[in-house]
Amino acid sequence: MGKRVAIVGYKQTKHSFDNLVSRERMVYELVKSLYSDIGITKDAIDTFILASNDFTDGRTISEVYIVPRIGAYMKDESKVESDGLNAALYAYMRIQSGLYDTALAIGFSMSGSEFRAPMINSYVMDPAYERPRGLINFHSIAALQARVYMEKYGFKERDLAKLTVKDLKNANNNPYAARREQKPTVDSVLGSRPLYAPLHEAHVSAYADGAAAVVLASEEAAKRITDKPLWITGVGHSMDTYYLGDRDLLRMDSLRSAGEQAYRMAGIKSPKREIDLAELHTNFASEEPVFAEALGLFKEGSGKEVVANGDSNVDGKMPVNPSGGPLGANPINAAGLIRLVDVCAQLNGEAGKNQVKGAKTGLAHGQDGPGAQQNVVFIVRREK
Amino acid sequence: MKRNVAIISVGYNGRFVSKRPDVNIPELIEPAVTNALGKTKLKPDDIQAYVVGNMHTFEGVNGPHLWASDHFNGSGKPVMRVATGGTTGASVFQAAYYHVASGMYDVVMAIGWEKQDEGDSQVGLVGIVLPEAFTLFQFGPEMNTERGGVGGLGGGGSTGGASYQAMSYLSRAHAGIEHIDRIAALMRSNAAKNPYAHLQQPGCTEADIAKTPIITYPLRFGHTCPTSCGAVAMILVSESKAKKFGLTDRVAWVKGLGSGTSDPTTGNFVEGQITDPAEQHMCKVVAKKVYTMAGIKDPTKEIQVAEVYSGFSHQDLMWPERLGLVKEGKSPEMLDKGAFAIGGEMPINPSGGVTSTNAIGASAMVRVSEAALQVMGLAEGGHQIPMKVENAVAHGWGGLFQFVTVTLVGRTPVKS
Amino acid sequence: MPGETIKSMVPITFLYRNRVGQALETYIDGLKDKKILGIKCPACDKVYVPPRTVCGCCHKKLDTYVEVEQQGTLENFTVAHVTIEGGEIKDAEPYVIGMIKLKGADSLLSAVVKGVAVDKVKTGIRVKAVWKEETQGSYSDLAYFEPA
Repeated sequence: MGKRVAIVGYKQTKHSFDNLVSRERMVYELVKSLYSDIGITKDAIDTFILASNDFTDGRTISEVYIVPRIGAYMKDESKVESDGLNAALYAYMRIQSGLYDTALAIGFSMSGSEFRAPMINSYVMDPAYERPRGLINFHSIAALQARVYMEKYGFKERDLAKLTVKDLKNANNNPYAARREQKPTVDSVLGSRPLYAPLHEAHVSAYADGAAAVVLASEEAAKRITDKPLWITGVGHSMDTYYLGDRDLLRMDSLRSAGEQAYRMAGIKSPKREIDLAELHTNFASEEPVFAEALGLFKEGSGKEVVANGDSNVDGKMPVNPSGGPLGANPINAAGLIRLVDVCAQLNGEAGKNQVKGAKTGLAHGQDGPGAQQNVVFIVRREK
Repeated sequence: MKRNVAIISVGYNGRFVSKRPDVNIPELIEPAVTNALGKTKLKPDDIQAYVVGNMHTFEGVNGPHLWASDHFNGSGKPVMRVATGGTTGASVFQAAYYHVASGMYDVVMAIGWEKQDEGDSQVGLVGIVLPEAFTLFQFGPEMNTERGGVGGLGGGGSTGGASYQAMSYLSRAHAGIEHIDRIAALMRSNAAKNPYAHLQQPGCTEADIAKTPIITYPLRFGHTCPTSCGAVAMILVSESKAKKFGLTDRVAWVKGLGSGTSDPTTGNFVEGQITDPAEQHMCKVVAKKVYTMAGIKDPTKEIQVAEVYSGFSHQDLMWPERLGLVKEGKSPEMLDKGAFAIGGEMPINPSGGVTSTNAIGASAMVRVSEAALQVMGLAEGGHQIPMKVENAVAHGWGGLFQFVTVTLVGRTPVKS
Repeated sequence: MPGETIKSMVPITFLYRNRVGQALETYIDGLKDKKILGIKCPACDKVYVPPRTVCGCCHKKLDTYVEVEQQGTLENFTVAHVTIEGGEIKDAEPYVIGMIKLKGADSLLSAVVKGVAVDKVKTGIRVKAVWKEETQGSYSDLAYFEPA
């Protein structure tokens, strides 16, 4: 290890709930325009890692029709079957091995128009106990986590609603987001359909059609492709136990561990000071304070204060999900990779109305499984 | 520059069988992990990361590794899930290799499994082509998914496409259905010497196979693979750890590896021209790349044994040719003179291969684990080849006739 | 038609026969006798309910079943306004899903809690198991929990 790996290209689709092209075409157009943006052809890519899932694609070996579309024909290609940030992680490892100089990581799904995300998520629950009982699912786990956070730290429903409004407004300013809520307010959030208290429909991320891709390169290759590489300075990943009854929903051990690994690698001692913004893969708005605290971005239990002071706003001390995060668009398999693409755009000053001034170091997070059982963290840094 | 990676241990959950109603998915996986650890002095906490995979639509659990995390000791550890169809096991293994080769980890476990008694794999396979109805008709799969024959032998699904390939192969090699019968019989009798194999038929003959009914000519039930339940776990370590553990003798070094992707057609395209389904150009390309990486100039001489992924028996003749282990079109002749047998000059699948045991998400990893065991001299129950194994090649195949993996393991690491 | 986008949908249904496994079969047998069984780790003494065959902390194989008490504390809960079945979110009369720490167990058990108004439920209350009159060896034998 110890080689430097750069991100030399990144792109996401305009996410939507009714993508009327096939996923093959969506992926093809994304990748082709990404290659053309950075002035390369598919021949410049040595190896390819996909993130997709046979359940979300409704098709066994879902990548069979995708690989020719991304230019992986006759190349070394593989597929992670989880969130897209895992694909970027695997691509990173392949470059670190010294066997490849460039890699494409891509994640996609049609979770807006082709299937109901809760159905796909229900298949994650084990068929032996949880599924037949029907009590514990992605939604109810998030509600249990939200309630315990609120009780322990005096975080009120209105605080959570205010945080949700922050994300929804950011999403409105993000041209790639799928969700557009006219004038989101605390009352509109609290007035939306109640699901599992304290969660309402407005707190749930926007399962959408979409894709995201990044091109990684070794230091030498990066110099050939771009004059403004972004450097991956830290990565980490970890998994929790599946059993909800054994997990500490506030501690988030696996996320904590993934963050610690990434910080150690990046030489970050104080994430609060050294990180300029974070894009977190939150399936529910209520996860935001819990994740941010597990990553050491805010003091434990400070959610109320953070919301009151606007600390996680675009112009706050530690902007979280300036893109609006998955509340604006959450294509399963792509969501974590979109976080990375958004962080890159921020570091290069391309985030428009949501731009965090002077952002130099960003954190991107991806998750998989019920209650964010598996977590991946990337630290990316702009050199100049 | 490049880090050498060694395989230090292989564990199976037990013998591969058609049904395991006594256990759920995590319980099926656990013994493979325990057995792999048990052959070393390592404790669960010594494993720094896990790479896992299966074909989850076959069991109807989306990401069963999440549910199984406690059972493979993955809770609290980095875990990555990889799945690529028939090649899944090899893709998982190769991802584990990159975990170590990247320098991020020194001790990694790779696990592949399938519990096929929980779903219908042929329906799962039809699921690849269902959205493309025209492709479905073109492939002409046998839609009848009724089980028949020995130990849950299943036809259908991918058999339709494979029979075109089998016809094409036979005509290219000037061979007949009897050669497929013969190699199928060899695999089943090899399997009888492998205590972990599913369909064990000691002394199985060409005539025994020829008695089984034709599905789509020239493929018979006796030429297809069973649907198996089972799991395999492998431990991979960096060179420095291998030395530290005092394990440099009985290990298998990963000397070369690669995967390749063609297009999803029965006959893959090469330079814009559709080739016949037995061409399998991709396999030749990947094999060449892997041999170069491993410093192998003449695979026919430098490689002593091969584990190839054959969902259908004619492929046990075809792959050795495409992998450069025998000359093109010469497999039938090699088979007839006994070269492919356990004691022959180029033993193919001493384990009995995929046509004897097919727990899909495990199968392509079992090719690697069996190749590694041959190098380590640890293949049990009489399926260790008598020759000293300097190099062994493991092959994986999947997707819609388009994914290929090749892994070369050997007794001495490549000098970097 | 030229210029029109056609979007065809192909519904796919698969049937699965998933096994519950050794530990849960024992648990279900226990439910038939109106017993709540856990499994004890010989290394860390933790008792898991429902039982499973491996301790995630110690990586030990587990086979010592122990009966736990049918009373415990409500550690966490959510008031559900919906059910999610087959991915369909349907409105429902509000009900309580609780995470319960049974006496003698170290893990939390999820269960429906009845007998307390949804706006009055709070953590820390003592709850006890309520059984179906006629048990048949299924998860629903343990019908719900109510304040003790």
